[in-house]
Amino acid sequence: MKTVLSLIKRDYILYWHDKPAVSLTFLVPIVLIYLFGSIFGGSNNTPTGIKLAFINNSDSKIAKKLESVLDTTKAFRLVKNYTDDKGNTVAFDTNSVKDYVKKGNAIAALVLPKDAFTDTSTSFRIKFYYDPKNEMEMQVVEGLLQQTIMSQMPNVFMASMQHKAETYLGMDKGMSFNRKIASLVSEYYGIDTAKILKWTTYNFSDSAMSDTSKSKANFFSDLLQLDKEQVVGKEINNPNATRSVGGWAMMFLLFALTGSSTSLFDDNKSGVILRILSAPVSRVHILWSKYLYNISLGCIQLAVLFLAGSVFFGVDIFSNVFNLILIIIAAAAASTAFGMLLASISKTAAQANGLGTFLILTMSAVGGAWFPTFILPPFVQVFSKFTIVYWSMEGFLDVLWRGANTAEILPYVGILLGIAAVVNVFSVWRFKKGNLF
Amino acid sequence: MIEIKSITKRFPSITALDNVSLHIKEKEFFGLLGPNGAGKSTLMNLLIGYLDADEGEIFVDKEKVTRSSLNVRKKIGLVPQSIALYDDVSAYENLQIFGSLYGIKKNLLRAVIAENLNRVQLYERRKEIVKNFSGGMKRRLNIAASLLHNPKVLLCDEPTVGVDPQSRNAIFDYLLKLNEEGKTIIYTTHYMEEAERLCSRLAIIDFGKIISAGSVSELLKLLPYEQTILISKNKATAGKLDLFKLFGTLINEQENYELKPDSGIKLSGFFKALEDNNIDYGSIDINRPTLEALFLHLTGRRLRD
Ligand SMILES: Nc1ncnc2c1ncn2[C@@H]1O[C@H](COP(=O)(O)OP(=O)(O)O)[C@@H](O)[C@H]1O
Ligand SMILES: [Mg+2]
Repeated sequence: MKTVLSLIKRDYILYWHDKPAVSLTFLVPIVLIYLFGSIFGGSNNTPTGIKLAFINNSDSKIAKKLESVLDTTKAFRLVKNYTDDKGNTVAFDTNSVKDYVKKGNAIAALVLPKDAFTDTSTSFRIKFYYDPKNEMEMQVVEGLLQQTIMSQMPNVFMASMQHKAETYLGMDKGMSFNRKIASLVSEYYGIDTAKILKWTTYNFSDSAMSDTSKSKANFFSDLLQLDKEQVVGKEINNPNATRSVGGWAMMFLLFALTGSSTSLFDDNKSGVILRILSAPVSRVHILWSKYLYNISLGCIQLAVLFLAGSVFFGVDIFSNVFNLILIIIAAAAASTAFGMLLASISKTAAQANGLGTFLILTMSAVGGAWFPTFILPPFVQVFSKFTIVYWSMEGFLDVLWRGANTAEILPYVGILLGIAAVVNVFSVWRFKKGNLF
Repeated sequence: MIEIKSITKRFPSITALDNVSLHIKEKEFFGLLGPNGAGKSTLMNLLIGYLDADEGEIFVDKEKVTRSSLNVRKKIGLVPQSIALYDDVSAYENLQIFGSLYGIKKNLLRAVIAENLNRVQLYERRKEIVKNFSGGMKRRLNIAASLLHNPKVLLCDEPTVGVDPQSRNAIFDYLLKLNEEGKTIIYTTHYMEEAERLCSRLAIIDFGKIISAGSVSELLKLLPYEQTILISKNKATAGKLDLFKLFGTLINEQENYELKPDSGIKLSGFFKALEDNNIDYGSIDINRPTLEALFLHLTGRRLRD
């Protein structure tokens, strides 16, 4: 045991002197976790300040309301005039606004036409001018616009509905339908029937909609509000960031442990293994030290990377820390087995690292380190279950998302340790047959 | 001290050692001279228990050496043929790492490392990483790393490869000193000069077989002549090669010709021929024959090609 400890200590000394290895184990994955966590799950993931050219040709109050809503939302920045050749500031017209977009000065132009919303409109009309090269951005803009209208001015839809009723049912029937609805709303929500019936003549301000009891006032504004609520486990701050943390951590764990295992080749080549074995040290000592060193390094790496996730994105690693440690140990053990397998079946370090890189990238993609496996084609998902990455990710996410208890993660721990055991038996057999040392 | 009994070691493609038997006495400086691929390193690896023999046995200090006998290795130090050190850590840390494998207590290890670094003149540079060392320094550290546990037997596998003459001499002196202090040393080389200078006894090995063993003078008696004649390459001698060939075998060396007298040739006859042909005695040097000549005599080949 003392010999094994000396060998492990040796590995840590060497590791510490190998700055590229240290940065590949910790620094690079931390940077990647930060970047990808920010993109996919960062706390502030709605874009802000998207520049839109804007013309409002409509007199309707609802169009005015939209304009003021868009003026105040952080998502958009409306540009209503431009500077002409002579340096004068000129308000947009339909031609100049098109030109403005064509020149790439704004992603799109948003035009509220004269008839955007009249007394008889059955829908609210908006016109976009955009450049097809901004297709992607347009999707974001459309989504944001819909979201803004839905959440900020739901009464548009009430008004449209009333107009629709009057158009399609005929004036009489439609009005009677609207009156009935209005009295129902009024009865239950205590809003003045007259106000409900006369949308278009009203100033569409929030106070108009909530002039009675506050608790009921949200009838309209809640109408289209999207309230997301998690259905599983505890509140987690940042589910996507959690996946990024776990995924990158797994990938770099595999890289680190493959690198560490293939150092056996360097030791063999330099004659260091011969020197070590000329001391009272057996090959079994070397193998044990390598396994234990790799597992311990793996655990440290995963712990540090999850800690980084917790610092950057508030991933909660502490409330279920015991089970997290269990799954970390299992993942490190399985990844160690993977690295040692590569060393045992390869003839050179370069071969092992090449094969390793290929397998690690494949396993990471297929196993869910980069994105959830459900977006993969079904036949690929079958392969997911054969990867260490998959079972580790499932384990991490169960612990961190669902607050799984020990019994619940036992299957993952069992599968990972099982993989480790089987692979280790095979690679030890290969080591005995080969002449790596 | 060291008994090598009928050792045969086969690799898939070659029999590296073929029925090798040697007996090496305590405090001997024993040389193993042979060309590349002769099986020297293989024998070293068997002596330290890195490899197991297919046939035969090895005993060091009466203990059998095998891959699984860990204890006997405390009595042996191996200086590997390659520089078996970690490039990216300091000289001191290297010795710390390898010393710790012998279970030497921390305080003692510190003292032992300092002493061994001093003896190879590397103490001042102990904190530098090995990568920045010169070839000679690395070789010296390679030796120091094998002596931390103060072994009775030191196996040196070509410990001076790639070293400048000055460092080489320093290494020779150090090894001779260690031998004087009581260490039994086995030294492999393909330089006959090294073997002649260092070894009290040596074995010549070729293609995995010991072709002869003994002290240098014993070995040289195997030659049919007692002197070789070195002839400088110059204008006077260049045209007279046929004349020289009358007296023996002429070998074209780099700086001179070496003449191996046939048996029965008298030196007086040779000098008379020189006078008759007006060749200056200054071009002629009479020498004791070398192990190189012996190797050639025994195998028909040169030690180095
Ligand atoms: N591990 C090995 N596998 C196969 N062949 C080997 C191995 N080690 C040495 N040999 C072969 O055995 C022969 C003796 O090698 P070696 O002992 O290294 O010679 P030397 O040290 O005298 O130069 C060589 O032909 C070499 O190629
Ligand atoms: Mg050799």
